[in-house]
This record gives sequence, C-alpha cells and structure tokens, in this order.
Amino acid sequence: MTAPVLALRSVSKRFGMTRALDDMSIDLHAGEVHAIVGENGAGKSTMIKIMTGIHQPSSGHIEVGGTRTVVDGPHAARDAGIAAMYQEPMVFPDLDVAENIFISSTREGVLQNTRDLHRRADALIARIGMQVDVDRIASGLTLAEQQAVEIARALSQDVRVLIMDEPTASLSAHEAAQLRGIAAKLAAQGVAVVYISHRLEEVFEIAHRVTVIRDGQHISTQSIDAVTPESMIADMVGREVGNYFEKTPSTATDNVILSVRGLGLAGVFRDISFDLRRGEILCMAGLIGARRTDVALSLFGITPADSGEIAYKGQPIDVRSPAQAIRAGIAYVSEDRRKLGLAMPMSVRSNISLATLGHFLSPAGFLDRRRERETAEAYRDRLNIKTPDVDAAVDMLSGGNQQKVMLANWMAMQPDLLIFDEPTRGIDVGAKAEVHALIREFVAQDGAALVISSDLPEVLAMADRILVMREGEQMAIIDHADATQEYIMALATGQAALQKAS
Amino acid sequence: MTASNRPAFVSGTGLSGWELFLIAMLAVIVLANSALSPQFLSLNNQINLFQLSIEKVIVALVMTFIIINAEIDLSVGSMMGLAACAFGWMFQSGVPAYAAIIIVIGIGIAGGTVNAFFITRVGLPSLVVTLGTLIAFRGLARVLVEDRGITDFPEWFDRLGQQGLIGPFPLSLILFAALFVICWLLLQRTGFGRKTYVIGTNRDVADFAGIDSGAHKARLFIASGAVSALAGLFYAARVGAVRGDVALGFELDIITIVLLGGVSIFGGVGTMAGTLLAILIVLNLRNGMALLNITGHIQTGVIGLLLIGSVLAPRLKLSTLLPIISGRKGDAR
Repeated sequence: MTAPVLALRSVSKRFGMTRALDDMSIDLHAGEVHAIVGENGAGKSTMIKIMTGIHQPSSGHIEVGGTRTVVDGPHAARDAGIAAMYQEPMVFPDLDVAENIFISSTREGVLQNTRDLHRRADALIARIGMQVDVDRIASGLTLAEQQAVEIARALSQDVRVLIMDEPTASLSAHEAAQLRGIAAKLAAQGVAVVYISHRLEEVFEIAHRVTVIRDGQHISTQSIDAVTPESMIADMVGREVGNYFEKTPSTATDNVILSVRGLGLAGVFRDISFDLRRGEILCMAGLIGARRTDVALSLFGITPADSGEIAYKGQPIDVRSPAQAIRAGIAYVSEDRRKLGLAMPMSVRSNISLATLGHFLSPAGFLDRRRERETAEAYRDRLNIKTPDVDAAVDMLSGGNQQKVMLANWMAMQPDLLIFDEPTRGIDVGAKAEVHALIREFVAQDGAALVISSDLPEVLAMADRILVMREGEQMAIIDHADATQEYIMALATGQAALQKAS
Repeated sequence: MTASNRPAFVSGTGLSGWELFLIAMLAVIVLANSALSPQFLSLNNQINLFQLSIEKVIVALVMTFIIINAEIDLSVGSMMGLAACAFGWMFQSGVPAYAAIIIVIGIGIAGGTVNAFFITRVGLPSLVVTLGTLIAFRGLARVLVEDRGITDFPEWFDRLGQQGLIGPFPLSLILFAALFVICWLLLQRTGFGRKTYVIGTNRDVADFAGIDSGAHKARLFIASGAVSALAGLFYAARVGAVRGDVALGFELDIITIVLLGGVSIFGGVGTMAGTLLAILIVLNLRNGMALLNITGHIQTGVIGLLLIGSVLAPRLKLSTLLPIISGRKGDAR
C-alpha cells in the first residue's frame, strides 16, 4: 500500500488548560473521500487548522507522502499540496473568474497573458465539470459557483489534499448535489478529499471512509460499508458519558408563561412553535447552524421575528428591542460572554448592574454606589463567585466565574423568563454543576428557563422537555422520559425517521 | 490594543496610576516654571492662562465623554468658527446681541444634531461624518463673513471674556469651573456616566443590556455642538473680532488634551480628573515655554511629542520594542 498523502501522527493540541486534540492519528489516501464527523466542539476545526498550518501541534507530527513535514503556515501547506475551503468561499468580487482562480499565482510587475490565463481557467473549470464563464465578474456568481472557483483555485496549485469544511451548509439541495459531484470527481482524479459535514446522508452518499472524533480524540475510522447511521451516531455521542450529570426532578407547573406559534424570520428560521411553563426548563438542542440562537435573539428583540405570534403571560407581545424585553421580565444570557455578555475590562460590580442600572439611580440620575456594591456582594456570595473584590475587573476572573457574573447580572433583574445560551460553554465541571443548580433553583421559584445547549449530557440532565432544531426548522419536541442522546442526535442530523423505525 | 492590557476600570474611586503620573508631570512643569519666573504662580497669571485657551478647555470636557464613548468629534473647531462668525454677521445685520447669542447656541445644537443623525441613524462612522461637517461648518462660516473681519461688538460683550466678574475671575472661567463640576459628576457619579463607559467598552454588550446606545451617542454629539458654539462666543468676546478662520485647527489641540489625560482612543477608559490634569499640563507647559521665548510652533511640536511619549510610556516593554528596532514584524497572532 502506498504511503498516505497526508497523515497526522499522535497529534495533540492544547490551548491553555483545554485539550482540543488528544493523540489524534489519521491517514488520508489519494483518491478517497474521507468524511470526518463529530459533535460541535469535537475538535474538527482544530484538526483542519493543524493540517493547513494555522496551528502547530503541541506534540506529534504531520507526514506528507510518508515524510515527516513541518507545516508552519498557509504557504507551507500550499507547498505540500494541502488546500481548504469553507462554508463561505473567499472570492474577490470585483475580479473575473479567471483572475480569481489564479489570484495567488499572479506575480506583481509581470504583464499577464490574459488569453492564456482564460484558457487555463477554462480547463480547470472543465476538469471539475462545471459550466462557468471565466470572463464573468465574481460578484454575480452563485454560492455554488463561487465554491467551484475556490476549488479550481486549489487545483491550479496542484492540490493533493482538499479539505471541505461544511461546504454544503448554505447551499440549496441542487447546488449541494452539484458540489458533492465535484468532490467525487476530484477523488476519482486522485485527490484526497476530506469532507466535513453534519449531514449524515451526504456522508453516506459520497464518502469512502469515515472517521468519527469526539472530545478531541480519534474514535473510529471505518469503510463506509462497515458503518450504519446508528453506529456512527453512537460513536459521535459516546456511551460512557450517559450519566455525567444527574437529572434534577422537574418543577414544571401548568401555568404557561410563553407561547410561541409559527415564529419565523425569513431566511433564518421558520415555523417554531412551543409552550413554556413556569417552573419548567425547556432545552433547545441541535448542531451549529441549527439557528437556535437566532430564535432566542428574536424572543429578546435583537432581531425581531417577521412572522408568527408570541404570547407572554397570556398577552400577545411584539418584542422590538432588548429594552422592551427586559421591561417585560425577559432576560437573555448570551453564549458569547466576551463579545456580547460582559464589559470585560470593567468591574464585577459594574457588570452585575448592567441590565438593572435603573434600579440604582436616584430621581436625578445619580448612581447609588453603596447599594450597587451591596447587591454585587450579595450575588457574589449567593453564586459563589470567586473574586478578591467586587471592584476587580471581570477579565481577571476564570471563565466559570465570569459566567456566574453574567448570570448574576440577569438574575439581579429578577426575570420571569430566562433565556440561557450555552450556559456552561468553556467552564469546568464543578462550575457547570453549580450553574445547573442555579438554573433549577431559578425555575423552582416560579421562573421559566429556555436553555440552548450543544452539550447533550447537559441537556439530558436539565431539560424537562427538549426542542430539537435542524437548519432553522423545529424537528420535534420530546419529553425528557423519551430522550436519549442518540435520538436527539438523530433528529439534529436529519436521521429521525430511521432512528424511530429501529 | 486588546481588552486585557487595558488598565482595570474602577469608577471614581481614588486616582489611577496614570493620573498620579500626570500629577508628577504637572509638578515638574510647575516647579520649573516657578524657577524661571516669580510671576508664574500668581493668580493673575494662572487665570490668564485659562482665559487664553478657554474655548479649547471647555470643549475638551465634552470631548472626554465622546472619546470614552469610542467616538470622535472633529467638527468642534469649525463649529466654534461658525458660531463666532454667525454671531458677528447677525450683530452686523442689526440683530440684538442677546438674541444672537441664543440663536448661535441653537446653531450649535442644530449642527450637533446633524452629526448625531448621520452617526446614530444612518450608521456612518463619526470620524467620517465629523470630518465632513468640519469642512461644511467652516465653509458656512467663511460664507457668512467672507474675508472681512467683524469688530466693534458692544462693550459689555467684550468685557464678558476679559474682565473679572466675581473678584478676578471672568465669566468664562466661572463657567468652565461650573461645567467641570457638572461633567465630573455626570461621568463619575451618574447612570449616564456609567452608560458612557459601558457603551465605549463594548457597544454590543450595552445593546444586549437594553441600553439605547444610539440615543446616548446622539445626546453627546448634540451637547458637543452646543458647547462648541458657546466656546465660539467666548472666542469672539475674548478677541473682540471674528474672521472666517476663527478656531481653525482647534479640534486637534482639544483631542490632544483629552488623550494626554489618559482617555483611550479605543473607548471605555478615562476620567474627568485626567482631562483636567492634562489641561493644566498643556497650559502650564506652553506658558513655561513662552517664558523661555520658545515660539508657538515649536511649543505645538513639543506638546505633540509629549502626547506620543505619554501614550507610548505605559506600554514600553523591551519585548515589544526589540522587533521594532530590529525591523522584524511582531507575531501577528
């Protein structure tokens, strides 16, 4: 057997304390379509970044054509014949197709032979079986055509490994089929194609081999004939993590606080309908791109929905701004605490009063700093926030404590409805359990929580009911009693019919 | 500059390291000046210093809010010019002076509203919008007075800027003191001030916390226009004459003061006390150089170097300097 065109050998990658890749080995052979699947955060993008030289392995090494090679940047990756394309193709909108294809091989100061350039561009486009006029300006191309340009660009540089990261995520069904055709054609021409996708049906259609990764570790690599969707999903979610957290008993009442009917936002999500009761935790599960956060942002008034109805506390409500949502008692705790949740260089005290600043103002607008401090200290003690002082800057705290400061800010608002987006992303297990307990405590006191989580053990531990979304659509709402990681994953990847039948 | 190497923000409690540094710098300048001239520390000299730059220092107070908000207003100098010229033109056309004063403040509010509209409603960057209005307001000012100078204002008006109103303190200085106290309270002690910091630190966080950052910014730009117009009137009163080039280039001196005071051009950082210290430093430094017969252009150059040095000083680390010196690029990541 010939040496693999590209191989990772026991590659690990650490970022500070977190281990993104752990002893990862993988072989890529010429002429194969090699699918890589895994949950969100399994380590797929870190792996791509190692292969394309954006990150360097903390340990282990890369082999190109059987020879140990250091890929220390995009240029080194190109020299090794490795190219990657992403969901959003990179094209220069004002250049024509041919110029776009040869953009990185263009030499400054050398007059280009335009006719020759176009002839060679034509040949490359023909090689991937597309029909695109190479004189056209790129801004008029469809997304699929732009991706074809990007593939042709990779081919112009004599690519031997083409990494396609979720290439079909934003394409129509027809375009996606076209793109899969190109991937298959390239493999037939001897290119090793790495195909990353959340759509399992695609994987079964075009992959020769499939590698499952989870928590940064290699789980399995098998010929596609040897796997079934069920076995693949089982590998993706892993069995041993089933009882990671104990399920807390439900405190749900019959009192519906939020009733959503047919909610939609053009081009983003559609037809979302659910009821949320006081005392209940409803989790939204799904993969990246399932548009769960977009639904939350509509409920909070950041991007108001354009169809459907929302009833809140029995009254119809049309939330147009966060200020309006906050007045109504709706809190949204963002998944991105650094960019959207906390004013990082500011003090813990200022961050705990962010959403409730009005409560601390005198009629003339003066800030009652003593009361603000007392409130901050009360929440510090109640949420067990480890900070030397409430005047310390938030960015000096650990991730878990930052998360609790963000939660304290919204708890201080005393909301009726708490929307919590990825409540435990990037925090340690101990802090996770504390955050879970706080959410349950909140709903037990007659609140209601809508929790978006990509962490399936967490969903199973917290949720009274689970709403599964996939690509902007609501797949199902399932009771906790009926939920398993496999079933949720099957719904999230569009394999539900198959899963139910079994 | 990333968030992590900014100084930790502690609102209004004590003095930051930067302010202590400014106090030390001010002490050195004052000591040196006192050695040069026994008159330097006299009350009259200090009042005189303020009077000569009164237009700039009152606008610097409002500019402090705007830059902490991560915005910029380049149009302030032109607004001063427009206000002064509009006043002169109206006075010459027979409008009573007190009515002209009120109309001029109205012009300031209108100009600030134009800035606010394009920045908060249309969503253009304040750098671009106020660069545009810098040109537009100046053009209007020149149209109004053409290339004449207008003088012969009523005596009471000229006196406003020159004579002591309460003891030796002229109206403009009393107004500055009052404005400083108001701005200090507003920035360091009210919800408005807190919002200024939050929006400047991270506008998205402010929006997600239900703070209407557009309305907040609009108020600041309107205030900036009104105070700039007031400053233009002070200029007319102090000099007793207006021309089309009144206050030309003042915006740069004002921004220099604010940045020297420790306000971050990236927003979210700075205090009113820092701005006051920077005002005192710039005024006294210029005075000291004047005592040494250093010309105005060189004085400006020295202030410029001081700004660069003071912005650089807190980040001087050997590890960041070495690559610059040896001509290598630092690690982009």
